[in-house]
Amino acid sequence: MRRIRRTAGSLLCICLLLLNTGCWDNRDINHRSLPLVMGIAYHENLYQIVLQIPEPLESGISLKILTQTGKTINQAVDKISARMESSVDLLHLKVILVEKEYAQLGLSDSITTFMRSREISPKALVVICDEKLDTFFEHVKVSMAPKGTTLYDSFEKNAGWNPQMALTRIWQVYRSIHSYTRDVAIPVYKSGKSGTIDYTGSAIIKNGRMVGQITPEETLLFNSVNGLGTQGKIEVMNNASVLILSNSTRHRSRLVHNIPYLDIELTLKVSIVETKGTPTTKLIKDELQEVLLQRFEHLFDKILASKADILGVGQYFRNKLPRSELSHWRTDYLPRMKVKLKVNPVIQNEGNLKLS
Amino acid sequence: MGFISRIKEQYAVSDDFFILNDYLLETPVILMGFNSLMDWTLTKQNLQTYINTAADTGLGLEEFRTVLGQVETASGMDKASAGLLQGKLIIYFEQENSFIVMDTVARTLDRSITPPVNENVFQGTLSSFTEDINSNIGILRKQIQSSHVNVSSYTIGSEETRQLTLVYYEGHADVNLIEKIKMQIEQNKHQQIDNLQQLSQRMMGFRNWTLVPNLNQTELPEEAANFLRNGRALLFMDRLPVAVVLPSLLWDIFVLGSDRHMPLPLMMFLRALRVIGVMLTLILPGTYVALVSVNPEVLRIELALSIAQTREGIPYPAIVEIVLMLLILELIIEASIRLPKNIGPTITMVGGIILGEAVVQAKLVSNLLIIILAATTIANSTIIGLQQSLSLRIAKYIIVILAAIYGVFGIMEGLVLVFAYLSSLHPFGIPYTSIMRCKKEVNHG
Amino acid sequence: MDRTWQITLMYFFIHLGLIFFLYPGDVISSTNDGHWLPVIIGFMVHLAAITVYMKGLSFIGRRDIISLYLEAGKGWPLLLLLPVTVYFLLIIIITLRYCAEMMTIVFLSNTPLWAIMLLFLLIAAFIAIKGIGTLLRTGVLTGMLCLPVILLFTAASFQNVDWRYIFPLADGFAFFTDSDFYQSFFAFAGGFLFLGFLQPYFTYRKKNIFIAALVLLPFFLFSVYIPVLTFGQATASTFHFPFIAALDSINLSWLMFDRITIFFFLCLISFTMLFLTMVLWSTIRVISRCIPVIKPSYLTFALPVLIFIACMAIPNWEDVKLLFEWNSYLRFYVVITIPLSTYFFGKRLQRKVDCHAAD
Repeated sequence: MRRIRRTAGSLLCICLLLLNTGCWDNRDINHRSLPLVMGIAYHENLYQIVLQIPEPLESGISLKILTQTGKTINQAVDKISARMESSVDLLHLKVILVEKEYAQLGLSDSITTFMRSREISPKALVVICDEKLDTFFEHVKVSMAPKGTTLYDSFEKNAGWNPQMALTRIWQVYRSIHSYTRDVAIPVYKSGKSGTIDYTGSAIIKNGRMVGQITPEETLLFNSVNGLGTQGKIEVMNNASVLILSNSTRHRSRLVHNIPYLDIELTLKVSIVETKGTPTTKLIKDELQEVLLQRFEHLFDKILASKADILGVGQYFRNKLPRSELSHWRTDYLPRMKVKLKVNPVIQNEGNLKLS
Repeated sequence: MGFISRIKEQYAVSDDFFILNDYLLETPVILMGFNSLMDWTLTKQNLQTYINTAADTGLGLEEFRTVLGQVETASGMDKASAGLLQGKLIIYFEQENSFIVMDTVARTLDRSITPPVNENVFQGTLSSFTEDINSNIGILRKQIQSSHVNVSSYTIGSEETRQLTLVYYEGHADVNLIEKIKMQIEQNKHQQIDNLQQLSQRMMGFRNWTLVPNLNQTELPEEAANFLRNGRALLFMDRLPVAVVLPSLLWDIFVLGSDRHMPLPLMMFLRALRVIGVMLTLILPGTYVALVSVNPEVLRIELALSIAQTREGIPYPAIVEIVLMLLILELIIEASIRLPKNIGPTITMVGGIILGEAVVQAKLVSNLLIIILAATTIANSTIIGLQQSLSLRIAKYIIVILAAIYGVFGIMEGLVLVFAYLSSLHPFGIPYTSIMRCKKEVNHG
Repeated sequence: MDRTWQITLMYFFIHLGLIFFLYPGDVISSTNDGHWLPVIIGFMVHLAAITVYMKGLSFIGRRDIISLYLEAGKGWPLLLLLPVTVYFLLIIIITLRYCAEMMTIVFLSNTPLWAIMLLFLLIAAFIAIKGIGTLLRTGVLTGMLCLPVILLFTAASFQNVDWRYIFPLADGFAFFTDSDFYQSFFAFAGGFLFLGFLQPYFTYRKKNIFIAALVLLPFFLFSVYIPVLTFGQATASTFHFPFIAALDSINLSWLMFDRITIFFFLCLISFTMLFLTMVLWSTIRVISRCIPVIKPSYLTFALPVLIFIACMAIPNWEDVKLLFEWNSYLRFYVVITIPLSTYFFGKRLQRKVDCHAAD
C-alpha cells in the first residue's frame, strides 16, 4: 500500500513539474527572431530602428530587413516584434550600426540603454554608417549573399576585419563615456560600388559623440600604437610594401610644469612583400619611418583638435596626476600635450627572395 | 505419526520422489531420494560397492553405518527434509527408527565455468561466477590465495532455505563493517530472500526507495578479488551467479580493477573517459533543452541559426521532443535485452532507421537532437555496471525537466541535486561518495 | 571524525560564492581609488576574527559553540544566540532574494522569482535535512565541478585589463566614512561562523582554515580589480555587479558558447547555495538546541516555508538593500561578539578543566 502511495506521489510530482515547464514564456529557438544587426538613426525626436533578421528556412537562410520608428529604441523594436510572426529577441545582436548624424549628436543614451539591457550583449560591435540607413540596408539586401551572418562577418575580428579598421564594442564606448582618460574610435562604413560595403575610416568618439574622423591608414597606426594585433597588414610606400609581423610599443611619460610629455617608441617587425626597383634595406626602413611619423603627426593633430583621447595617452599619466586632476584631463592637459614618436622598423625577413 | 508416513505425506505427490525397500547387510532399510537430483543408477552401484566391501571385510552394521554417513534419530523431519532437497539419499532403519543421510552422485545441474555474459572483460581474467556457491568461492579462493580470506556461511530462510556466504579479507576490511554485516545477517536470518531487492531491504536493512543500487554486483572473480583487497565484503547467494559487493560506492562506476593491467597514463585516460561519460549523460540532453528553449543566448550565433533551421516546422517544444526520443531510445535498449540473440539485430536496424532517418525526415525531431541522443547513449554506456547506468539514465530525466523550467541554471542545480542525493547515501556508515582503499583509509572517507 | 579537507574546501567555496557578487560593487563605490586598502583592511578584520574564533574553538574541545553558550549561564545564550539566529535568518532571506533577483536580471528574465527561490530552498532544505555530512560531501563534489570553471574564467577575465587603471594607488582613508565600505563586510562576516557548529560531528585542523583564508586573498583582490582595470573606476562604479559586467566583456572565440558569463555565474550561484544550506543548517541547529520542544525535522520543513514567505513579502530591490543595510549592524555585532565570547568562555572552560586536572 505504502509503495503504491509513494509511486503515485512521485508520479504526481513529475506531472506537476512537467506542467510547470509551460508556465512561463519559454519560447523555442525557432520561434524567436534573432536579429544580428541593428541600425539606429535619430530624426526629429524619433528613433528609427532597422533590424536585419536571418530567417531560417528549410532550404537555407533568408535575410529580412525591417524598419520602424519609435520614441524609444524599445518601442521601435516592440513595433517590429508585433509585426513579425515570431517575437524579436535581441540576445544575439552582434552589430549596432549608427547613422553618422546620430553619432554626431551623441550616442550616450543609446549606449547606456544597451549596457543596461540584459538582452543585448556588451560585446556587440559599434559601427557608424556614413549614409542614410535605408539606402545602406537596401544596398545590403540587394547585393550581399543571403547568408546568416553576412553583414556581421564584415566587421568581426576573426572574419572580415582587417587591421586598418577600428574594432570597438559597446562596453568600450560605454567606458569612454565615463572614463576620464580614454576615448574610442569607431569604424565608418558606407555602401560601395561593386556590391560591397566600403570602409572609409574611423570616427573619433569623445564621450559618446563623434567629433572627427581619421583615415584608414591612420587607423592602422592607431591600432598599432594600441597594440591591437596589426599582423598581416600591407604598408605601401614609394619603393616597397611590407607586411607587419608584429608590433610593440613602449611609453615614457613625464609631467613638467603641468605639461604632459610622452615618448612613444613603436617597434615594427616587418617582412617585405613587394618592391619597385631595387631599394636597399636601409631605404625601406627610412621610408617606413618617415611615412609613419608623418601619419602620426596628422593623427595627433586631429586628436588635439577634437580633444578626444582615442590613443588613451592619458592612461600614462594616471600615476602622475591625482584623481581630481584626471577628471579634466581632456580639457586641461591633452591640448598641451607633447608627444614624440620614435619608430623602430625591423625587417625580420625579406620573403623568399634575396634583396639585391 | 511415523517417520515414513510423514515423509510420504509430504513428498509422495512428487513423481520424482522414490521410496524403496531394500536390505543392507541383511537389515531391512528404506531408501528415499529424488530422481531428479541424483544419478540413481550410479548411486545404487556405489552403495553396492560399499556393501560388498563391508561384507568382505566383515564390518558390522553399526560400523558400516558410520562409514555411510552420520546416523540421526528419526525424531525430527528437518534434517531428512534438508538432505532430500539437497539431493542426498536417506537410508532409514525401521528397527531403530534412525536414518543416514548419504552423499550421492549428483546429477550435473550446474553449468561449467564460462566467460562472463553481462560484463565484458578487457584484458583480464575470463572466468565468471556460476550458480553454484561452492564453485564461486572456489574460483575466488583461486584468485586470492591468502589465509586471511574468511568465509562464513549462513543458511537463511525458514520455509525455503538458501545458503548465504559472507567473504571478507581479514586485515583489509574494516572490522566494524564486517561486524555490522554479520549482525544484520544474524538478525534477519529467518527472512526469506528470493532476490537482491529483498536481500538489500530485508537482510541488510537498506531503504528500498533509492535510485542508486545499494548493492553492487560483479560476475568477474578478478573484480571480486579486487573488491576484497580494497576492504569490501562480498556476499554469495546460492543459485545467483554474481558476487554482491558491500558497500556499493560511487567510485565503482569509474574504476575497474582490471584497468590496472594497463600503464598508469592509459588507466587514467580510461577512467577520465568514464567520468566524462557520466557528465555528458547527465548534461547533454538537458543542455539541448536549456539552450533551445530557455537560454539561446549562450549558443554562438552560427550554431543558433543552424539549430533554428533544423527545428523549423517541428510542432512541439524541445522538452516534449527530447522526452519522446529518449523514451524511444530506452525502449530500444530494453527491447534489445529482451529479444533472443538471433533476432536482436533487427531492433538495432529498425531503431537505426527510425532514429537516423525517418524521424528527421518526417520533421518530428531536429537532427541535432539525434546527434545529442546518440552521444548520450554512447556516453551512458561507458560506465561500469548495468544498474548504475540505469540509475544514471533516470537521473538524466530530472535534469532535463529542471532544464526545461530553469534553463542552464536548472542543469547546474540539477547536478547539485544529484550530487546531494549521492552524498546523502551512506550504507553502513560509509559515505557513498567516498573512496575506499584499505582499512586505514576507511575512516577518512 | 577528521574532515579537515572537506571543511577547508567548504570554507573556501562558501567565500568564493560570497566574494564575486556584492563585494566588488560595494568596494568600488566605497572609494574612488586605492581599492586595495579597503580590501586589505576587511581581510585583516576577517583574519583577526578567524584567529580569535579558532583559538576559542580549540579551547572547547569536542563541543560546539551552542553548548558552550548554553553552559555559560543565564542571559548569555539570549545575548549571543538570539542575535546569531536573527542574523542567520536575515542572511538567508537576503541572499536568497538577492540571488533570485540577480538571476532574473542576468539571464532568466521570463522565469518568475518565486520559482527560482523555490528551487533554491528545496535543494537547500533537502541537503539540510540530510545533515552536515551530506552538505560537506555535496560541497566537495560541486566544488570539483565548479572550481575549474571559476579558475578558467577568472584567468580569462584578465583579457581586457588595462593595467594603467590601477593608478592612482592610494588616496587616504575616506572610505571609512562610507556606508558601502561597511556593507562590503558581508563577504567577510557570514561565512566563517559555521566552523563553530561542526565540532561534535567532525573535527578539523584549525591551521588549514588560515591557509584557505590566505588563498582567498587574491580572489578578493581580483574581484575588485578586474572590473576596475577593465573599465576604470568611473565606469565600474556605474554597475550593480561590476565583476559580472567585466566578465561579459570577455571574448573567447575558441569556445563554442557565446555568453560564458552564465557558466561562471552558475558556479558561483552553486557556491552561494552551499552557503545558504550551511546557514540554514546552522540556524536549525541553534533553534532546535535552544528550544528542544520543537523537533528538528519539523523545523526543517517550517523554516524554509517561513523564509520563502518572507522573501515573497519583500516587494522590490530597494527594500532588499534596506534590509541589507539594517543587517550590517547585526553583522558587526555578531562578528565581534561571537569570536571574542568563544575565546573567553573557552579559556574559562579550559582553566576549569585544568583546575580539575590539578586536583
